[in-house]
Amino acid sequence: MAAVESKQAQQVFIRPDGKEKVTGVGRYTADLNLTGQVHAKFRYADHTHARITRIDASKARALAGVFAVLTHADVPEVRYGGMVQDRLMFAKDAVRFEGDIIAGVAALTPEIAAQAAALVEVDYEPLPAITDYESAMAPGAQLIHSDWESYGAEDMGRDGNVLGHSTVIRGDADAAMATADAVVSGRYVADASQGAPIEPRAIIAQWQGDKVTVWTSTQVPFAARTGVATVLELPESHVRVVVPLLGGGFGSKCDFHFEGHVAALARAARRPVKLVFSRHEEFIAPDHRREGMAVELETGVRKDGTIVARRARLVIDGGAYCGEGGFFAQMAAMHAIGPYQMENVSIDSYLVYSNNQPSSSIRAPTAPQACWAVEQHMDEVAAAIGMDPVELRRRTLIERGKASATGQIMDEIGIRETLEAAAEMIGYGQDLPDDEAIGVACGWWPSFGVNSGAYVKLNGDGSGTIITGAMESGTGAVMGLPILAAEVLGMKPEDFSILYQDTDAGPWDMGSSGSQTTFNNGRAVICAATEVREQLLDMAEKELEASRGDLEIADGVVRVIGSPDKSISIADLAGSGTPLLGKGSGDVPEAGPSDIASHCIGDLGLTAFLAPQLITHAAHVKVDRDTGVVRVLRFAAAHDSGKIVNRIGADGQVYGGVMMGIGQALTEGTTFDSEGRQINPHLLDYKLMTASDGPEIMIHWEEVVTPNAGPKGSKGVGEPPSVPTSGAVGNAIAAVIGRHVNQLPMTAERVWATSQENGQ
Amino acid sequence: MSATYLAAASVEEAVNALKGGARCVAGGTDIVVGHRQGKKPLPASIVAIHGIDALRGIAAAGAGLRLGALATHEEIESHAVVRERFTGLADASAIVGSRATRANGTIGGNVMNASPAMDTGAPLICLGATAVFQGPGGTRSIAVEDLFAGPGQTVASADELLIAVDLPAPALGTGSAYVRLEYRRQMEIAIVGVGAAVTIEGGKVTAARVAITALAPTIHRVVAAEAALVGTDGGRDAAAAAAAAAAAGSAPISDVRGSADYRRAMAAVMARRAIETAVARALGGQVSIPASTSTFAAV
Repeated sequence: MAAVESKQAQQVFIRPDGKEKVTGVGRYTADLNLTGQVHAKFRYADHTHARITRIDASKARALAGVFAVLTHADVPEVRYGGMVQDRLMFAKDAVRFEGDIIAGVAALTPEIAAQAAALVEVDYEPLPAITDYESAMAPGAQLIHSDWESYGAEDMGRDGNVLGHSTVIRGDADAAMATADAVVSGRYVADASQGAPIEPRAIIAQWQGDKVTVWTSTQVPFAARTGVATVLELPESHVRVVVPLLGGGFGSKCDFHFEGHVAALARAARRPVKLVFSRHEEFIAPDHRREGMAVELETGVRKDGTIVARRARLVIDGGAYCGEGGFFAQMAAMHAIGPYQMENVSIDSYLVYSNNQPSSSIRAPTAPQACWAVEQHMDEVAAAIGMDPVELRRRTLIERGKASATGQIMDEIGIRETLEAAAEMIGYGQDLPDDEAIGVACGWWPSFGVNSGAYVKLNGDGSGTIITGAMESGTGAVMGLPILAAEVLGMKPEDFSILYQDTDAGPWDMGSSGSQTTFNNGRAVICAATEVREQLLDMAEKELEASRGDLEIADGVVRVIGSPDKSISIADLAGSGTPLLGKGSGDVPEAGPSDIASHCIGDLGLTAFLAPQLITHAAHVKVDRDTGVVRVLRFAAAHDSGKIVNRIGADGQVYGGVMMGIGQALTEGTTFDSEGRQINPHLLDYKLMTASDGPEIMIHWEEVVTPNAGPKGSKGVGEPPSVPTSGAVGNAIAAVIGRHVNQLPMTAERVWATSQENGQ
Repeated sequence: MSATYLAAASVEEAVNALKGGARCVAGGTDIVVGHRQGKKPLPASIVAIHGIDALRGIAAAGAGLRLGALATHEEIESHAVVRERFTGLADASAIVGSRATRANGTIGGNVMNASPAMDTGAPLICLGATAVFQGPGGTRSIAVEDLFAGPGQTVASADELLIAVDLPAPALGTGSAYVRLEYRRQMEIAIVGVGAAVTIEGGKVTAARVAITALAPTIHRVVAAEAALVGTDGGRDAAAAAAAAAAAGSAPISDVRGSADYRRAMAAVMARRAIETAVARALGGQVSIPASTSTFAAV
């Protein structure tokens, strides 16, 4: 009965921030204005790779209306970066990509600031730029960071331009390959792409004494706080980060970016300083885009579909700085094996520096590209043994209780069920016109167990407030937290307000990244609400003169089971003056062991996946053979994300993720010129899918109640919906034109050219 | 020069401002957006013409139609006579930019911006449209096919204001179409576009016009493609021959939107679809507007 009620409540659940966003009442960072504020602009690098021999800001400083001009000489020389400390706020000796910042200006108007930024004089000695990232590994290649050895860094196999090297070695791939009935090899190259949030980022900083408040469009307010404190050498307690409504991020607003620059400018200008990025800047300046990747795969298979061995070599474009992408080599290696049973694997994965824009996490970093390569390759493997590609997956996906290719035992997973569900929803095997076809692809993505905290308090009017460090990037994960608190406390989700996105209010949280909000903060909210529940029961025991075992909390009251007239409302208890306040964090789940971590190079703890999210996507496409233009007509997405806490919110993640995945499959690619400058840093030529391009999207949730996972047996939801999407689309295209397109995005021209090569 | 902004109340006032060096703005979808994208700074002196009522509307003019310079793409694509008799223009107006662009952008701005990738140019040329200007010395008409001088350039002088675009009545048995290569279904720009108008009498093509978009520094006719149609039955073979001629008459560039080779190949594909659609319409067939959508994956 309770379950039914709760399901109905979920179906009508309207997220608390929905109305203000839809009606335009909501305020984003760029909407804020502070009395006396001045405006910031950056002077970016004039070369993508050069030594700086002179910087002279005197003309910029002399311009009327300029309040502050900062270069490296005006701030502490602090190298920063999560895994490799390779970056300075303002370039000092060298520039390494087009978005490197030479100087920051604060002036009366944005126009004056832009004028002053142009007046900063910089002399350079240009160096050869490496934009073909695979060549960065060649012996004797120009070093992007000549002093790379001096950087503070984690042990991740660094060597010159190689920023990270990771292996996955299990069994004996060489020996096993010799026993295969067929060996299939292929090379697949993915272009870079972007998170492309519709809100270009904005930051305002204001000092009061020696403390600074920064309003910023970040996905990770606590990381932004740490960043400001680090680069300005302040105690973290002197930095408060507040995030107004966030207009999307998709990963691109993870990590610390420009908050330090703006805070430093505000201190120098002695005024609040506001920075609002143009669309062009939002493309070129963040050290945060989806990485280009070259994937070489070789798979040995027996006629019965058994995969006897997989070899792979991946080279990933890390760009000019590490950012928070240092784990990409190992993460990509895990996607080169995928959710399949294989006894013998040998994967080498390299993350390399280049003079391109730095790469960092965009929604499921490394996974869509590596999965696209592997899943197209799997269809080629199936073809080599004359087996239907779905049948090959049916035989090779990890069975419950069996080991992954890294030797992690997978007890409660529903990957095979997602395959069947997706195939059924899309109508796999049906007759279609000869320019239409269905493609299927599978993928996986880990959940991330990290610390997280929340407070829950009850107010005198019977309402509740959740005070959380979690960040609402638009996914609805924070907006869904009241569902969890309400269930514990016998209240309604709409009874709760949420105080969030203020580092002075909620406990530390990793932020909106790694699909982790419900997984970790949901656990914290349940713990905090449970504390309050105990407090309520303590009070009600006395008020109702009943023993605890006879009490229940439901419908906003504490009552004696079986005696509905013996009850007291939560409002009365909360209004009595006794504070009702709970705190919680809960125990962080950890992944079970793999059997290979000890002998893999560059292990960062990803050889086993905690509570893996499992996905099968199926795309029904139509190819305009004459032009190569592809339209996705129908789409089926079957996901094992464990128990689903908020169905409407989870569905929303799939709709959005699939659309993002289709964009990455067909049209979204960042193109660099021969020096590493973006050619299409604007929305006319960086082509996102529009609502009109959206196919019918059918969703199935394979609700495997997952032990050692998130609340109620849930897993993450946000990132997987983009993971196998381009693979499914690619396999469908290949089924029409007779050959796989080996470059991503699979643009009309590439589809057309591949089709021409195939003599179609 | 100090920045000035004048909202003109009459054509005369606007022409005066142009004479004084001002640039005119109507919907602002080129000048304002271009400025924000950093393509071109705003002109120092601007004369806004959106309040001049005389430039509005779509009206019968003899047997033809007069489009006021301020007629929006949305007004044009939804106009019954345009859809019925000047269908190629409806095809183009229905796909300019985004819905917001079409609600604000005007035919006058689209024509005078003279982008080689603008959509209304090819069908206007195929339909024999003339641009009507008013300058300090009075009015004059220039055939749209003679108007474009280069990317962003027209043969009109800086003090002439486009006041209308005149569409002559098409001959009986005429059908027209505009088809564009589209990587997505909305918010596209022409990567390759082709307009066609075909007149069929007694089963024979008696007149044909074919114009190509985004395939040369200006939108222009391809006479060889037209010649390949006239005198034929307008069937598949004729359309294919004309399409090949259209591709041969193109001079595409390579850029982030497509290589020259791909564009040349697509010129033939789009030309064939535009011609076949125009022929079908000339013969009374219904091909829904916009033709770019209804001819997707046409074989």
